[in-house]
Amino acid sequence: MADVVFLALSVITIGCAIAALEMRSLIYGSIALMGTLGGIAGFFLLLDSPFVAMFQLAVYVGSIAVLILFTVMLVKRELIFKKVEDKRRKFVGIALMLVFIVALGSIIMDSGIKTITTDEPAVDFRNIGADFLTYYWPALILMALILTSSVTGALILARREDENEQRTD
Amino acid sequence: MSVIAPNFKFSEFVKAILDNAFWILLIFVLIGLPAVFLILFYIEMPVINGELLTPFLALTWLADPSRTLPILKAFMTTDLFKIAAFPGFGFAALIAAGTIFIERKMLAKLQLRVGPFYCGKFEGILQLMGDGLKLISKEIIIPAKADKPIFWAAPILFVATAAAFVALIPVAPGWVVADVDVGLLAVFAVIGFFPIITILSAWSSNSKYPFIGGIRALHQMVSFEIPLILSLLGVVILTGTLNLSEIVASQSNFPWIIFLPIGAIIFFITILAELERIPFDLPEAESEIVAGWLTEFSGMIYGLVQLGTYLKLYAFAALFVVLFLGGWTGPMIWPPFPEDIITNGIVLGPITAKIPGLPIFSQEMLNGVLWFVIKTMGVIFFILLPRGVFPRIRVDMLLSLGWYKLIGLAFVNIFIALGLLYAGVLGPGGIL
Repeated sequence: MADVVFLALSVITIGCAIAALEMRSLIYGSIALMGTLGGIAGFFLLLDSPFVAMFQLAVYVGSIAVLILFTVMLVKRELIFKKVEDKRRKFVGIALMLVFIVALGSIIMDSGIKTITTDEPAVDFRNIGADFLTYYWPALILMALILTSSVTGALILARREDENEQRTD
Repeated sequence: MSVIAPNFKFSEFVKAILDNAFWILLIFVLIGLPAVFLILFYIEMPVINGELLTPFLALTWLADPSRTLPILKAFMTTDLFKIAAFPGFGFAALIAAGTIFIERKMLAKLQLRVGPFYCGKFEGILQLMGDGLKLISKEIIIPAKADKPIFWAAPILFVATAAAFVALIPVAPGWVVADVDVGLLAVFAVIGFFPIITILSAWSSNSKYPFIGGIRALHQMVSFEIPLILSLLGVVILTGTLNLSEIVASQSNFPWIIFLPIGAIIFFITILAELERIPFDLPEAESEIVAGWLTEFSGMIYGLVQLGTYLKLYAFAALFVVLFLGGWTGPMIWPPFPEDIITNGIVLGPITAKIPGLPIFSQEMLNGVLWFVIKTMGVIFFILLPRGVFPRIRVDMLLSLGWYKLIGLAFVNIFIALGLLYAGVLGPGGIL
């Protein structure tokens, strides 16, 4: 059962990823990207971690994909349906991807992932939260600082000079 | 001469009835009886309770309540029943239909109108059925340059997403379609799909008004999701769980609205914005952009979007009840099932009918459903009420409300919850 689901999810994820790159229309491409992200959420469900799966759906499908859709709709109408074809770039891209996948695969295979026992019960997300707040607290603080600085930077970039012209409530 | 059927003749009416009776009898004799005998001769029937199951015996069982009740009870524990009928789609659609009628009648009374009146003998009670039949019979018009696949898929996806939201709501102890450990996170994930579907359907119709409405809906929904999620974290901090059934069970003594009133108010305001209801109905502002992102929908796909909207309304109201008002908890007011019928059976003069398998539902479940429905209808009433009272607000006011005030208040709510937790008043190991 799990194998069938795994195969179906793989087909959906990889197929949607290829479709997202190859689609003529940018809107359909972003829908395919949503399919890819949803498929990854499905993988997390198969791995007994619904917590991560739900965050994957809420953040990547619910926010990032919406952002991409919104950006696509701001693009000029002609650009949505036309695409510049370049054969050489395509092949170089495919070759780069293959090199990258092989390198990544060899690293993962050498990392001792084979010795992990897979029939252990799934880790409770409460334990992950407790670990984050005790042993890994510097990482948490660092992440919070990076996020805060990026939000502040975005606010400064988005600030308008003509504040006097804005309507007041 | 009748207006409805001007060529009506009584003799032809009688002839039609006799014709129908003749054909039904003929078809039954020529096809029905041979079918029964085919089953009897060629198919091996199972033996149940030492009796060979024949079609005649099966018909007898259907007429005997003491034998059909166990089958019915077994059916009610299946997933199909849960998804289609009771805590799932059917129940929610029933409440949604009731909501539509109450909304129209109540708004009319608020504005000194009559409202639906002529359809049905009593106060226009059949108005909804009439509207549904009208929508089904109307033609579905698709704009010439629309993107057809997305335009067709969007209403269906909208209803499906709303139904997925409904499936996560626990109605009574044990009565929930999907009892997942991360229920509240699943709710957030499902809510995230609504803006995508809205903007896709708005874009696909290739028309000005839907597109403007869709962009407005996107802005509104995405920006109000943040205070919505933050306002619910207080409850999660105090209960220490994300499972909605456990959150309800933790409120057996007092509902969380007593300790987290700010969170409840923020959540209620964000509900209004997520549902695009007045005063936040900018995506459907009929005086500015016709009907917003619903402009190009017609016929039953418009009906589907409306059904999805009201399912979503029920689901949000039920979520408010589950998180802040204690869900199904409440004093036991449902009368117990009479012991007489269980022990002695029903006595009708000389006949005594013993019916094993009663009662079908336990007293706790019925009481829970009663309290849940009462509370949910109360919340729905407060969601409907602003429509008769408030005007629509401007989009910049909406965004400043969402981004400045509600998010700030949500953090205040989280700090109140943390204070209650660390002071040892509530939560695991608290004094209450």
